[in-house]
Amino acid sequence: MSGTRHNLAAKATLLILPLVMYAALYLLPLISIGSLSVDNGELSDRFSRLSAHFGTDAPVDDAAAVALLADLQGMDSRDRAEAGRMFNQEKQGFRSLLIDTGKAAGDIPPTLDGLTAFDPRWGEPSWWEVLERNVEPVTWRHVQKATGIKPDGQGGFGIAPGDDIYLRILVRTFVIAGQVTLLTLLLGYPLAYAVANGTPRVRAVVLMAVLLSFWTSILVRTTAWVVLLQTNGLLNGLLIRLGIIAEPLQLIFNRFGTVVAMTHVLLPFAILPMMNVMRTIPAAQTDASRSLGAGPVETFLRVYFPQTLRGAAVGGGTVFILALGFYVTPALTGGPGDQMLSYYIADFVKKGLNWGMASVLSLMLLASVILMLLIGLLVRRLAGWRRQGV
Amino acid sequence: MSRAIYWISLSAGFLFLVLPLLVVLPLAFNDSSFLNYPMEGFTWRWFGVVFHQPPWMAALMNSLKVASGAMVAGVLIGGLAAVGTMLAGRWGRLVLSALFISPIVIPSVVLGVAMAYAFGRMGVSGGYLPLVLAHAILGAPLVFLSVMTSLRGLDPELERAAASMGASRWHRFRTVTLPLAAPGFLTGALFAFITSFDEVVVALFLASPQSQTLPIALFSSLRDRLEPPIVVVALLLSLVSCLFIVVLNRLQKRSNGRR
Repeated sequence: MSGTRHNLAAKATLLILPLVMYAALYLLPLISIGSLSVDNGELSDRFSRLSAHFGTDAPVDDAAAVALLADLQGMDSRDRAEAGRMFNQEKQGFRSLLIDTGKAAGDIPPTLDGLTAFDPRWGEPSWWEVLERNVEPVTWRHVQKATGIKPDGQGGFGIAPGDDIYLRILVRTFVIAGQVTLLTLLLGYPLAYAVANGTPRVRAVVLMAVLLSFWTSILVRTTAWVVLLQTNGLLNGLLIRLGIIAEPLQLIFNRFGTVVAMTHVLLPFAILPMMNVMRTIPAAQTDASRSLGAGPVETFLRVYFPQTLRGAAVGGGTVFILALGFYVTPALTGGPGDQMLSYYIADFVKKGLNWGMASVLSLMLLASVILMLLIGLLVRRLAGWRRQGV
Repeated sequence: MSRAIYWISLSAGFLFLVLPLLVVLPLAFNDSSFLNYPMEGFTWRWFGVVFHQPPWMAALMNSLKVASGAMVAGVLIGGLAAVGTMLAGRWGRLVLSALFISPIVIPSVVLGVAMAYAFGRMGVSGGYLPLVLAHAILGAPLVFLSVMTSLRGLDPELERAAASMGASRWHRFRTVTLPLAAPGFLTGALFAFITSFDEVVVALFLASPQSQTLPIALFSSLRDRLEPPIVVVALLLSLVSCLFIVVLNRLQKRSNGRR
């Protein structure tokens, strides 16, 4: 009895440190991007009076003007510029309007007419609508900007033309990941086959190359491609010397460079699972098929290939999921039209410290990855591969 | 016919896999500031540049410090997690494993954004600490997996023998199982170190100007201008990877030999 209690206590103590560290350094940050994506604290705290006013569904009236002027007077000029910058993302010109109004806030008569006399824009409902939407503690503007789905003014929702930019980037991310997955499977299959079925020397050489590639950092391998694909780089030099082309081709900073470099970087992730599955296929099966009169091609297609599909699915799935989140390789070998979702997430943080947009796009990427994982599990279950322990 | 298909497709894949690095890395010794062939003579000049001019050496030192810290923290977190999970029941084991492995599948940009924001809020910013903690979380799943593998691979007879001599479960675990799992901890430590040493995306979000790591320095100079020192750094990093494979191989051979 005391032994059991001792066990439990030991178990619990062992797990305290890892669980606390995971919670603080991993789970909490992930949860925080969930709340950040709809968090509007930066604006609702600054416009606390206006937020309270609109919180009671009050109309745009003199009381709103009083609240706005009081809020603006409560801020220093840096606060106003910062708030104005955020409103500017919604409506061009808001930054200067807020800064100007804020500077003169003490002299403007605290009525709607007084505001309109100072700047006629305060007489237009469209400017107040932006304020009303964006001073609440919770905002959907990042989600709306990321998905393009906005209220269409008639009670429904729709996507205005040109607003679907991030949806298109999401599609582009999936397309690039798909292209890379297909190429890694095509190039990797013979390599995996060689490791499983080649002569001892072929096996050793190919396996060594795959493992070396696997453990060489992504950045180093991307570096090699950047050097190779430059306009006056190695590949262009070789092609010109061979007389195949006269002028250097644009091989980098476009889709070609991105897909080729990503394929190279991700190739080992496709090979290793295929190799592991191929190793379990007994050579006797092929021999049996041949002795029963099937040719090498028929044997391969009907006996060998179907059994390797499960390795290809695991390898392809791994490559696809990794490719979805790629950042370094496309950033160094792609052009503006080849950047994937990760690039825009990093961009929002680096350039504008726009945590809201970065969080929403992160959630989009995370949801895509989890969706693909679930599809993978489903396929595994439907195909009955679980029983075979893969 | 089928032999031809086999050899052609094998050669194509093989050359695609190995040629880029084999062709580019020798340019580290090229006596020309252009990264192109034919080589204009052999030189160690670019190594001198890397060893004496900023930012390379400072970045290397930062990388070594961060990777060592991340290794220690990662082994502690991942190792304790594995041992604790191993002692749990069937369902507990499943849930805990999923949790402890999950950082592997989260895209690094997402982790970078999340950690940069949350660490800033917690007041963990500047210096090496944020990087070490973030890389510890990236390394912990690998430590967890390798320790779990070595714990699972142990001969159950050993445990039973200890039990037959009256050792309690916890005592058995501490004196029999754990020492035999030592190679798993060593392999895990190696994984954690190299993961941190090569990591760039999360580091880009968390590093301060004083804690720029080698991969960050390489990434920014690649975006800036292509110069021979870049290839020297790539070559040095590749050598570290080779060294890593050799050590890993030794470790695995030793633990296999002991079994």
